[in-house]
Amino acid sequence: MNIISICALAIVSAILSLALKRHNSELSILISIGATVIILLSVIEYVLSSIETVSTILAQANINSEYIMILLKVMGVCFITEFTCDCTKEAGLLSLSSNIALAGKIIVLITALPMFENVLSVVTSLSGGGTIE
Amino acid sequence: MDVDMIFKIAAIGIIVAILNQLLVRSGREEQALLTTIAGLIVALMMIITQISDLFSTIKNTFGL
Repeated sequence: MNIISICALAIVSAILSLALKRHNSELSILISIGATVIILLSVIEYVLSSIETVSTILAQANINSEYIMILLKVMGVCFITEFTCDCTKEAGLLSLSSNIALAGKIIVLITALPMFENVLSVVTSLSGGGTIE
Repeated sequence: MDVDMIFKIAAIGIIVAILNQLLVRSGREEQALLTTIAGLIVALMMIITQISDLFSTIKNTFGL
């Protein structure tokens, strides 16, 4: 799906959603969510091929593949959190949306914590092998 | 690509809105409410498969 058809789909679904908003507001929200899902589904196959290219480049540069996995996981969490956050904000549930954003931040922090541990162990080994209390 | 789904949901919305107006004018508020809920459920069942498809694709792509 190229960018022209994605933009056309976005405009058409925006007009349909606006036309239905006065008489049937639930279905207008469903139209906007459906358009979002379709656009994301059509784009995510390009993400897959670009991830393969990036991981090949990083493997040639002798970077640990564990870090790439962590980066990918964080990226996926951000992707899905952003999507859900926008959908709930569209439905007018601002508190739920900010809660989801907070949950996403916590999950990202927990996922990235092993990298911080590695950085700290490198720092301690450089600074003379002392343990961090 | 499932662009047809958007048009299907819009058609369901228009039909439900018209039926709702007709039933409210003829004094059947309960049936109008039931029609709205039925239309919502039909559209939701159409969209929920797409959302689950997107979530499983993201799960497989990013290795969550």
